[in-house]
This record gives sequence, structure tokens and C-alpha cells, in this order.
Amino acid sequence: MIEGKLVNLRAREMTDVDRMYRWINDREVTRYLNMRYAISYLAEEAWVRASVEAPMGYERPGFAIETKHGQHIGTINFHLVTPEDRATSLGIMIGEQSHWSRGYGTDAMLTFMRFGFEEMNLNRIELTVDAANARARACYRKCGLTDEARLRQHRFAGGAYGDTVLMGILRSEWRRKSTETEGTR
Amino acid sequence: MIEGTLVNLRAPETGDLERNTRWYNDRDVTRFLSVRYEISSTEKGWLRDLPSKPMSYDEVFFAIDTKDGVHIGNVNLSGVVPEDRACTLGITIGEKAYWSRGYGTDAVRTVLRFAFDEMNLNRVQLGVLAYNHRAYAAYKRAGFVEEVRQRQARYAHGAYHDSIVMSVLREEWQP
Amino acid sequence: MIEGTLVNLRAPEMGDLERNTRWINDREVTRFLSVRYELSSAAEEGWLRELASKPMSYERPFFAIATKDDVHIGNVNLFAVVPEDRKCELGIMIGEKAYWSQGYGTDALRTIVRFAFEEMNLNRVQLHVFAYNDRAFAAYRKAGFVEEGRRRQAHYADGAYHDAIVMSVLRDEWQP
Repeated sequence: MIEGKLVNLRAREMTDVDRMYRWINDREVTRYLNMRYAISYLAEEAWVRASVEAPMGYERPGFAIETKHGQHIGTINFHLVTPEDRATSLGIMIGEQSHWSRGYGTDAMLTFMRFGFEEMNLNRIELTVDAANARARACYRKCGLTDEARLRQHRFAGGAYGDTVLMGILRSEWRRKSTETEGTR
Repeated sequence: MIEGTLVNLRAPETGDLERNTRWYNDRDVTRFLSVRYEISSTEKGWLRDLPSKPMSYDEVFFAIDTKDGVHIGNVNLSGVVPEDRACTLGITIGEKAYWSRGYGTDAVRTVLRFAFDEMNLNRVQLGVLAYNHRAYAAYKRAGFVEEVRQRQARYAHGAYHDSIVMSVLREEWQP
Repeated sequence: MIEGTLVNLRAPEMGDLERNTRWINDREVTRFLSVRYELSSAAEEGWLRELASKPMSYERPFFAIATKDDVHIGNVNLFAVVPEDRKCELGIMIGEKAYWSQGYGTDALRTIVRFAFEEMNLNRVQLHVFAYNDRAFAAYRKAGFVEEGRRRQAHYADGAYHDAIVMSVLRDEWQP
């Protein structure tokens, strides 16, 4: 278990499927994520099964986010870690709306990023975020990520094209930030 | 069952899985091991396969029990090369309440005797992280000699650390 | 192709089969390696085909060593690459004995170490050398490797136990 201040990160379990199935079909949760279609229980179960049966490793580490009271509230992972570049792309979803805007997402981000930099020895973490997702962008900025690129008309949803913002943080920036603030140590 | 003074060594059982999963997800324990990530209880990995693999020369894995039958950790010999009669030892005391009480040292002594007297090996080596002072002291007590300091061999907790290779040879081993 | 001064490093090819089979069964060559048994050309072909058909990658970059005149004289590879630790192990064999002690091995070493640090972004390259392999030990020192210790009686060969010396070079001490 990786301990943060408000959350813990743990391996996913098959008992997470019900919750993940509910979140992934909740349009309010997935509004800004890369999900257009409805996902069946079987499909979600298969996805979780594939992710829990393979030992977690460098290429695709992914965790369940739990509160300190053990309530499963979301999921966080790296995609496609490339060892030569020591770079990866991050994805996060807080599925329980009751836990939005209360610092849980930020703490999960900081805890996971610390794992990426200080246990996996990464040099760069990036992510993409819908330009209209103000809450997420504010959270990522608080975590030290900066805007690097605006991908124009990158995504079509709700009848219109929208922009995607590419944000990133480097190890050197993380180090500076960690020594400036108390961080999540 | 291989009998030591404070511990017995036995084969892993399916009932160990829950305890093992808890230990290998406990970062107080795993900070001294090569485990980095989290292990799901449904992971089809080495933990789950343990009880079904018959123990043999190539795969020696013991659960460590106290004399009262409390499972407190695991010890194994891996990378056994028959021509060189050499192997690598690994040990984890997962139950933190049993640290610094002689159980680990006794488990190491017991498996060493097994390696030399039953498997007819000549050399048992291990790797220990430079910051793992407790284990280093236990290994020295059990007769291990420091051989190699591998510089910056392990990245953990934001920094590179040295890894120390220790070994004991049959000719110097004292049961 | 990775260019050195005396050698180039290129991908293994099926055309290397006859040479590789000859080298791996030459005990003057293999007494310095961890090869013990005899290898049939069928087994060697299976090994080479697997190597030559998979794209070279981070996990195990394996190169054939060729002179500037394109003579295949040996192989060099990195293995046990751990991305989080940014470390690896190196193995090298100069199969053509006529090319021993002329700087080819050292140049192949320098070339792959540069590749490890500058292209793979590694931090530590380690290797093992048997205590009786003085020529290789000298070449490794020349290429910048530092002795870290000896694994005593780690290798049994020729009727006796021998020590295996662990050497390494770290990025922060490496000089291209």
C-alpha cells in the first residue's frame, strides 16, 4: 500500500468491479474522459481481471484509490512508460462524486507522482485534459504540472469540437516543489 | 519440516496467500526487498503459484513458522547452478512483531544447513541493500562475508543505493 | 549500426549462424564464458533465429561486432536491464581468436557503454569476469570499468572453483 495524506493507493481487486462499472457508465464522471460508449459489466469485469491477474510492473502500473477509511473512490495509472525516456502519461478518475473538490484527487495525484519519481525513477510525467475541465486543470496545476501544448479541436463531443491541453511535469520541477512545500512526505 | 531452534521451515500452503499478500504490500517490509509495486490478491504471479510448485533443487521456497506454528515469513534459495553448486538466498520476515528477536537469524542458519548438508551446495550468496543495517548484522551473525559493493545498484525512495553481495562458503561455514 | 573506432555494432543476422556455432563450441573461447556444454547447430540456429526475428529492444540489446571491413568477429549484449534502477549487465565474446589483443574488444566495449549511457539512458553497467581471465580484466579496466569485489568460488570449471570479479561503470564517472 502506498500511503498519502488523505488516500492510500492499493492494487486493484475483483471486488472493485461493481464500483468501477458504475463509475464508467456515469456520464457525469466520464464527461471529460475518453469514454463515448456504454460499457457492459462483462467488459468492465474483463478489463479489471486482465489488470489484476498480470503482475504490476514498470510498463503499466495502476492502482485503486482508497480513503484512509478504506473506501474505494477512484483509480489512477500510468500508460506506456518508456524506459529510455523515463517518461509516461498519467490517467486518473475519481468515480465517487461525493469525493470531488475535497482534496482527494490532488492527494492521489501527489502520492502517485511521488511513486513515479521516487520509486520508478521517472523523469517526466504528462497527461492530457479537456480544456473545459476547469476543476481537473486546477488540481493538476496545484500538483505542479504546467501547460505545454493546446491540441486544437482534438476531440469531438456533445456536437462540437473541443481543445485538449497537454500538461507535464519534470523530475527537477517535482524536486524543487517537494523541497519548497511540505508535500505529502 | 526442517527444524531450527526458534523456527521451522515448511512448504508454502494456500492458506498463506492472504498473509503473504498483506506482507508484500506492506512498504515497511518491502522497502528492504526488490518489490516495488502493489500485488493484487488475484494476481496470477509468483505468490499464487507458490503452493502448487513442487519444491525441488531449482525452486526451494520455505514458509517460516515459529515453534508454535505462527507463519512469520518466507525464505528461499534461487538461481541454483548445479555445476557451480551455488545459489542465492532471499528472506522476508513479514510479521514486524517478530523483527529483532532472533527469528530471522535462526531461519537463515537453518536454511544454510539445508543448503550445505542436504543440497550439497558449496556457496550461498545474497544481496542486501546498504541501508538495511538490521539484516546486514543478522547475516554477519549467521556467517556471511561481505564480497562486493554494487554501487548505485538500486533506485528507491528518490535516490540510488548500493547493494552488497555477501556469501558463505561451505569450507568456512560453521553449523 | 552503431559506429566505434575499430568496430561497428550491428543487429544479428542468420548469416552469422556458422560463425556463432563454431565460436560457441570452441573451448578456447568459451572457457571465459558461462557456456559449459556443446551446442548443436540446430540449437544455435533456433537461438539465432529468435534473436534475429525479434526487434531489438531495451530488455536485451544484442549486437554482432564487425570490423570496419565488415568481418564479424564476435557479439556483445546488454541484459538484465532494470528500468527503475537504470542498470544492466554486459556480456561480450570475441569469437575470432585472430582478433584478440588488438584493441577490438576494448573498442566494442567502449561503443556499447556509450550506447548504454547516451541512448538507453542507463546509469550503471555491470559485468562479471572470471579471475583467471586477465586479458578481459585489463580490457574492462581500459574501458573504464571499476572492480567492486569478488564472488568467491562462484564458478566451477576445469576441475576447480574460481572467483568471479564484479566490475561496473557508472554514468557519473564514465568518460566517453
